Amino acid sequence: MLPSMIRGMWRAAIHNLRIRGTPACRLVSTCDGVPVGLADAETIFALSSGHGRCGVAVVRASGPASATALRCMTGLTHGRPPPRKALLRSITDPQSKEVLDRGLVLWFPAPHSFTGEDSVEFHIHGGPAVITAVLHALGSVPGMRPAEAGEFTRRAFQAGKLGLTEVEGLGDLIHAETEAQRRQALRQMSGELGRLYQDWSHKLKRCLAHVEAFIDFSEDELIEDGVLNQVDEWVCDLQAEMERHLQDERRGERLRSGVQVVIAGSTNAGKSSLLNKLCQRPAAIVSPIAGTTRDIVETALDIGGFPVLLSDTAGLRESPDPVEREGVRRARERVEQADLTLVVVDCAHLPSDAKQAVTFLQGHLSSVLPTQGQPEPVFPADRFLLVLNKTDLLPEEQRLKLDGELSRVSGLPPVCHISCYTNEGLQDFIAVLHSSVKILCGDPLCCAPTLTQARHRAHLQQCFAALAQYQRYRDIDLALAAEGVRLALTSLGRITGRVGAEEILDIIFKDFCIGK
Amino acid sequence: MLTKKPPALQSFLSLVSRRASHLARQQYDVIIVGGGHAGTEAAAAAARVGAETLLVSQKIQTIGALSCNPSLGGVGKGQLVKEVDALDGLCGRAGDWAGIHFSILNRRKGPAVWGPRAQLDRQRYREFIQSELLSTPRLTVLEGSVEELLVSEPNPEEPGHHRVTGIRLANVSHPISASSVVLTTGTFLSGSLFMGQSTSPGGRIGDAPSSAGLSQTLRETLGLRTGRLRTGTPPRIVKDSVDLSLANVHPPDSHPTPFSFLNTHTHCKPEEQLPCYLTYTTPGVERVVRESIHLNCHIQEDAKGPRYCPSIESRVLRFPGRQHQVWLEPEGVTSDLLYPQGLSMTMPPDVQLRLIREIPAMHRAEIHTPGYGVQYDFVCPTQLSPALQVKSTQGLFLAGQINGTTGYEEAAAQGLWAGVNAARWALSMPAMALSRTESYIGVLIDDLVSRGVTEPYRMFTSRAEFRTSLRPDNADLRLTLKGFEEVGCVSTVRYQEAVRVRDSLQDALAALQALALSTHSWRKKLPDMRMSENKNALLTGMDVLQYNDVSFEMLASAFPECFSPHMEFSQRLKIEAVYRPHCNLQKKEIERIQKEENMSLPQDINYLSLPVSLSQEVREILDRVRPSTLGAATRLQGMTPAAIVHLLNYVRHTGRKERRTRRDKPDRKEERKAAQSATNASLPQ
Repeated sequence: MLPSMIRGMWRAAIHNLRIRGTPACRLVSTCDGVPVGLADAETIFALSSGHGRCGVAVVRASGPASATALRCMTGLTHGRPPPRKALLRSITDPQSKEVLDRGLVLWFPAPHSFTGEDSVEFHIHGGPAVITAVLHALGSVPGMRPAEAGEFTRRAFQAGKLGLTEVEGLGDLIHAETEAQRRQALRQMSGELGRLYQDWSHKLKRCLAHVEAFIDFSEDELIEDGVLNQVDEWVCDLQAEMERHLQDERRGERLRSGVQVVIAGSTNAGKSSLLNKLCQRPAAIVSPIAGTTRDIVETALDIGGFPVLLSDTAGLRESPDPVEREGVRRARERVEQADLTLVVVDCAHLPSDAKQAVTFLQGHLSSVLPTQGQPEPVFPADRFLLVLNKTDLLPEEQRLKLDGELSRVSGLPPVCHISCYTNEGLQDFIAVLHSSVKILCGDPLCCAPTLTQARHRAHLQQCFAALAQYQRYRDIDLALAAEGVRLALTSLGRITGRVGAEEILDIIFKDFCIGK
Repeated sequence: MLTKKPPALQSFLSLVSRRASHLARQQYDVIIVGGGHAGTEAAAAAARVGAETLLVSQKIQTIGALSCNPSLGGVGKGQLVKEVDALDGLCGRAGDWAGIHFSILNRRKGPAVWGPRAQLDRQRYREFIQSELLSTPRLTVLEGSVEELLVSEPNPEEPGHHRVTGIRLANVSHPISASSVVLTTGTFLSGSLFMGQSTSPGGRIGDAPSSAGLSQTLRETLGLRTGRLRTGTPPRIVKDSVDLSLANVHPPDSHPTPFSFLNTHTHCKPEEQLPCYLTYTTPGVERVVRESIHLNCHIQEDAKGPRYCPSIESRVLRFPGRQHQVWLEPEGVTSDLLYPQGLSMTMPPDVQLRLIREIPAMHRAEIHTPGYGVQYDFVCPTQLSPALQVKSTQGLFLAGQINGTTGYEEAAAQGLWAGVNAARWALSMPAMALSRTESYIGVLIDDLVSRGVTEPYRMFTSRAEFRTSLRPDNADLRLTLKGFEEVGCVSTVRYQEAVRVRDSLQDALAALQALALSTHSWRKKLPDMRMSENKNALLTGMDVLQYNDVSFEMLASAFPECFSPHMEFSQRLKIEAVYRPHCNLQKKEIERIQKEENMSLPQDINYLSLPVSLSQEVREILDRVRPSTLGAATRLQGMTPAAIVHLLNYVRHTGRKERRTRRDKPDRKEERKAAQSATNASLPQ
């Protein structure tokens, strides 16, 4: 606990400032060299309706700046609207004043809202362009940032707004949301953009390590002042790169929305045939030769009205061929990023004994799935479907026995029998697929890359601002300058992963001979 | 208020018990084993808290000895000294008494990372510590070798859980009983010394090895996991044989700054301070190391040595072809020896001589005592609670190198805290922990108990994520008040001084805050100030003091009626003004962590079978580390936000059940408030 005295001083200081009619945050945005303050409680926003064919999308914001957002985006300058009443308004961009959409707005003043905080809801048209524009506009309101996974629910929990059963399920809910967000982030991080962020993170770690080495060791060791000049240069370069990136209107590769469904399995199980059946055209080459598919074959589908991005992958096997090995690596990467994986198995490979067949399937699943460092892999039913292909080759009796055995064991994902050759079971399979996709589409995080992009952007902006602190304090107070680099790394770490003190020390001891 | 000169050593030694049979009693509240930096702070702290304390050391003359370097403090370490002093420990005042060369390191890098440091006179330091212990009420010092740690048979309901009952000394038949025992055995736990190709048992040259019994009790009876670490010390050089004209003189600060908040000046007068000398290794040094590698057991061993403070052998092997710094440090006012910092080595003595003579300033140098290496056992510190008590053994506390740390300051800090908690345990008071958000001591202990060590642990400022709040200048405000009001380890005199400082600072800050002028008026009053922008808003004295080229002295001469009464704290006020905005930004994060740290996890949870949805991986991490608070759990690598929420739900649930079984009538409102703040605390943002 900080000494009560210092707290007392702070309180007195803030009080003084308030009396003179200045907001408390002025304390941190005053004269030269003091960082721009972060608001006490941040306001978060997110798309809270699902994805897919929907007429209306709901965007929610929660926190103290909700009122500001409502005012400057709906032109309600004179007082606030009546609480919890729907109003039809034009929704405008606060900067450009351009009209984005016409929709309903609802104002929920604290504490009578889902989160217990001031909240506002925008009910807008469901098209992706409108949603993106409104999210972007919200992000430009001071004090607002995109919500992290599960953040609305957490705030509701903190305000005591959740019932006991909801609280019990909270951990699982947060787990599901963070998982969805992780997969979404993985997709974005796997490309050029990911390499760029990792490169920045690497450079920032180096900067911090060198500043810290200079602080902790330069008095006793041979660490020249030149070390800091080097850091100055790196920081400058990083800032310039980030600025260019933030201003770049191209925003990199366009990320296609939709539920990411990946077909995976051994070679020659019929994965490409399944893809072709689902998109009703020969999108992928099929042949009896094992290892025909080497790269990812992607196709956008509409399944029961929900957008799906279906990927066919190379069959998983050890191969001496470097091209095929790369294909297998990409396949495994895709499985890790997928919302839903269809594991295709060739029925002809199943042992004839039903019990052994189940054991075989369990083993097969573990070999397809990313291990994630868990000794016993789990197959959440909502993320996997087991597709037994070439079922026409299976004698009826054997199949009945297998079904009987499958219904006895737990821990396996849902199983579908199909034959891409005779089309047997295909309709049933599509029905199962449809219901899985429908559930996944209910989660707004699952298929909207714009949200993740907005989040990344917010963190990058914080990172950029923190680097300015380094430069401001470079010659005044090195401890405060180093704090700037630390903050920058923390912000970037929210995209690329947290960096601990030990990691920085590792770099220090690798780069310098510390020998006092 | 510098402590009076210690009484002559002779009279001191006659006053301590040298034989167990002379002890007035056979029962103490707390027994401290070991008289190094950890042991002496632990003994003094336990006695200050109010426990009848016994300090057992193998050799009374070496109590308070500086076994390795003759210096105290530095960057990161200086912060620890200030904090130990703020909690009324010994080392800060001892440093002020024994220092012969004071300097503030990092003076140009910002007050948060200033490193107060001093070269010490070995003899004066030891005398001061011994005299302090002698004049400490409730403390008895005994010379003896501990043969065995006495523990109760484990409770059949809790297998593997013991309770300390006392110790047994070598050559003494009757045991000495105590409620708590603090082990501060340093490098003596299964220690072995290395020089060249010869090894011998021991923890320090010239001292008898400690008995194997202790090590055995820890490992076999108590089942504690141990590891092995190594360290070393350089040869001591005869001063007259060194040509100091070939080295660079390194003068001390012209105005020595004392460590202790109680002292306004150091014992050593500014002009009596001695200089240090800086010189460098040559290619010849590297050659000698390479040629003698086959004669060097120590560096061939695979026990873990530190990446900092490594021997000269590992330095030249890891970073070949470079010059390495060698500091020549005085050992005392009357000492005729020099301590070559950076030349720790373990080769045979004749090779050591050849090596140092490769350095120009030492081309004719003579070695007084050769350098040597030590390997020793440490107890994996994740088996300790934040009170430094062994989790499985009630009343057993560990501090210092036995926990895998290196350095006097790290040892002193742990010793003090272990002593405090040993006394509190013996006196049936609840255990106390220091948070990493309020002190470097908290950072040190939290790092040790929640992460463990793989190499000797040393403090760096970069380990403290809130170092702009945990500054050397404000250690008294952070710790002294709490130390008196909550911990009970601070004297009234020191407390009153801290209260005076707090009140004066508050007055001064209020005065700074109250003075608000326009930019124009400030420019007129302070013509030297470069104020870049024109603001309409008024600026307070506090705002203006943040400017780089404005000092409190300038304000005081411009507005003598407002500020001259506060000149005593001019430096602290300037620092406070510069850092306050940043500390404000950190406050929220600090409060979140503190709330998490206030939620303790029961120590008897069976994580492997807990009926909560946790992944196997998380269960194993929790089972291995057994964090004592939710805060410690969140910092574990591999923990997920969802796991934390599940854990929190479980703890709240069982907490509620326990309350119900106690049939207390819970105050609904209070309970909900507590639960809510706990929730706020534990949810990662």
